[in-house]
Amino acid sequence: MTRLLRGLWLERQARWGLVLVAALCGLAVLAPWIAPYDPAAQLDLAQGQYLAPSTLHPFGTDFYSRDLLSRVLYGARISLSIAFLSVLVSITVGTAVGMTAGLAGGAVDRLLMRGVDAALAVPRVFLLLVVVALWEGVSVTGLIVVLGLTSWFGTSRIVRAEVLSLRQRTYITAARALGIGPRRLALRHLLPNLAAPVIVAATLGIGQIILIEASLSYLGVGVPPPTPSWGSIIQEGQQALAVAPWVATFPGLAIVATVIGFSLLGDGLRDTLDPTTR
Amino acid sequence: MMPLLRVRGLRTSFKTGRTVARAVDDVSFDLLPGETLGIVGESGSGKTVTALSLLRLIQTPPGHIAEESVVEYNGVNLLELPAKELRRVRGAEISMVFQEPTTSLNPVLTVGSQIAETLRAHRVISRRSAAARTVGLLRRVGIPEPEIRTRHYPHQMSGGMQQRVMIAMALACEPKILIADEPTTALDVTIQAQILELLADLKRQLGMAMLLITHDLGVVAGIADRVAVMYGGQIVEEGPTAALFTNPAHPYTEALLRAAPRLDAPTARLPVIPGAVPPATRWPTGCRYTRPCS
Repeated sequence: MTRLLRGLWLERQARWGLVLVAALCGLAVLAPWIAPYDPAAQLDLAQGQYLAPSTLHPFGTDFYSRDLLSRVLYGARISLSIAFLSVLVSITVGTAVGMTAGLAGGAVDRLLMRGVDAALAVPRVFLLLVVVALWEGVSVTGLIVVLGLTSWFGTSRIVRAEVLSLRQRTYITAARALGIGPRRLALRHLLPNLAAPVIVAATLGIGQIILIEASLSYLGVGVPPPTPSWGSIIQEGQQALAVAPWVATFPGLAIVATVIGFSLLGDGLRDTLDPTTR
Repeated sequence: MMPLLRVRGLRTSFKTGRTVARAVDDVSFDLLPGETLGIVGESGSGKTVTALSLLRLIQTPPGHIAEESVVEYNGVNLLELPAKELRRVRGAEISMVFQEPTTSLNPVLTVGSQIAETLRAHRVISRRSAAARTVGLLRRVGIPEPEIRTRHYPHQMSGGMQQRVMIAMALACEPKILIADEPTTALDVTIQAQILELLADLKRQLGMAMLLITHDLGVVAGIADRVAVMYGGQIVEEGPTAALFTNPAHPYTEALLRAAPRLDAPTARLPVIPGAVPPATRWPTGCRYTRPCS
């Protein structure tokens, strides 16, 4: 683990990714202590609407006179938690399906992979809109499940390809020659070898989920108000883009920083974890 | 004496597209308890496929072992055994060591946990006592500081050490037969000698039989009781080591012996056998050894 961190630190881009991600996660965790105001408090509906950024409100205020900095900080908690948890769901399902397909082979493999092909052919946001539209009043937990269950297709393909190649290695034949059964072989001998590609897929997946969650919230079908998520703040700020551009700008910048951070980290992890590039 | 392993008419073929490669074509031999049988032959002669076929480690398809083939261990035909029962034979009764130690150990598992895996696959044993036994096994195969080494990953060890680990893994459950497929080919000469000596020692201590597959005649001369010479997917000649070396009957064996360097009669230039083994998809009919006999 320390070796991994040192490896990441030595690469310039990965270092930036690491710093960005660490900073964002830190801010999200510490939000209740560092946020200057309650994110839901309507401070002064009469005179506090759409205040421009100032020392009192570094990010300005929104239509309901709520402090935007506090909302963005609390939004980070929601947006990042949704991203982490749905990626957890997606890599778990993706790894399970990919391993099943790769190990079973034959008809099972063909069936699963054609299913994945079909699912990949449907634009993801469209797929999500249909699901969320049918599921009235979706909760945050529901959103996590839906996001997770619609984003494992790519991971399952990566895992399947990796399993197909790992299966041919001498050490897998050696393990079979020594009487290791199929379950043990899959869980104890194959799974640890899949860690690198899966971790990379997960890191890159987080950035994507953040974007998708933002688009859903922006379209009004994501995180229900008044809970602040970056997407929903942008959606609220959109109407006032001409008078108060800061409302949509700051959460937008946060999204950009997160996506860049996780992409850099993911690329760095791929380079550091891949033994062939070392 | 009853043979421990009785192989009769073993035929393994590989189908690629419309061509069929008959890699092992009617191989029969016996392995007696406690003896070492060397199988020699050059690349492409079918040695490794023979070894893999014994424990059904050939991937099917494209591989196929003919239905009438017999690999009998303790009176049971391993080729007809259900997968679950076959797993109880693999590793516990018949074990195998592979050619390249670097690729036959799992890079992401510590050597200790890999050895413990084999133990736990065959015996009801707690994690702790498996770990304790693992240290004992590492010591037995001559690895210094086994308590520390057990926590190391394969890449932290030299090739010779890795092969010792592989041997410890194969012998963890004290099998009756060890199949060693070119166990020293990937190692340098001094390490080769050490590993061969270790194998011979362990074989004596455990009273097991060994099937030693190699292309190195020196290795066979050193530790095999009997030798079988393979060419073109068949055993062309078989006999006690000394007799076969002094009095080869088959022209291929003779040519092979002449091509091997000797310390007692150094020559400036070693004779070679011209050409190569024909591909297994196109064996000539009749005698397969079609290279010029002298």
